[in-house]
Amino acid sequence: MGLVARVLEERGVPTVLVSTGRDLTQLVRPPRSLFVNAPMGNPFGRPGEVERQREILLDALRLAEADVAAGTLVDHRYDYGQGFRDRVETTLAAMTFQQ
Amino acid sequence: MEPVAYVELLNERYRRMGFPPYRWTVHRDAPLTPLAKPLAECRVTALTSGGISHCSAAPWDAVARNDFRLDAIESDTPSDQFQIHDAYYDHQDADRDLNCVFPIDRLRDLARAGVIGEVARKLYSGFMGRIYKRTELLEKHAPAFADELQREQIDLALLVPA
Repeated sequence: MGLVARVLEERGVPTVLVSTGRDLTQLVRPPRSLFVNAPMGNPFGRPGEVERQREILLDALRLAEADVAAGTLVDHRYDYGQGFRDRVETTLAAMTFQQ
Repeated sequence: MEPVAYVELLNERYRRMGFPPYRWTVHRDAPLTPLAKPLAECRVTALTSGGISHCSAAPWDAVARNDFRLDAIESDTPSDQFQIHDAYYDHQDADRDLNCVFPIDRLRDLARAGVIGEVARKLYSGFMGRIYKRTELLEKHAPAFADELQREQIDLALLVPA
């Protein structure tokens, strides 16, 4: 997805990417990204957390409006917290899943 | 909690599985197109790679590789009319509330509040799963998507990998 972001911007479409893989995103270096410290699958937080979802989305969109350097990654203050650590192992298993 | 060191953990895991080292794409700089107008005037679209499809469309292949399918989604579709098929991440929360991974209700909230100009007519689901054909992605499918967004006069695209 970071590669798609780069192509869009090369071709004149502004983007902002919301990432849950800080180091993965830093390698690809999309033009603008907001890192949210949450499991893959929860970049906007937990089910039903309407205010939280809206806040993260708004912060992402505002990043597009801000005067930031190309390749900027901003760390969001939100942390998914409880239950996150338990989901890392299942996430890694899913990411490396082989048929 | 400290951010998860996915690169290190995945490298180690693939090594144990007997795979050769994964060749990560590394960029030291990035292109940038400034926003052409204030956010409150922008037509905003969103792209998810989370294997999300409308219930009336075919489900995604949950274990796809190099799947360049791209669905356009009518942006006024209720958020409970979607299904998720993707074996590469844990979508238990997103199954209950799509907005955890693809915040279409929240985009509409921001449009109603006047924070963004409008939600684009079409949102997108695609570039899902493992795409190893980087050249084809970079030279064909991603440029075609850029052309589509230009045609739709998109001012800003929100990209959410999963």
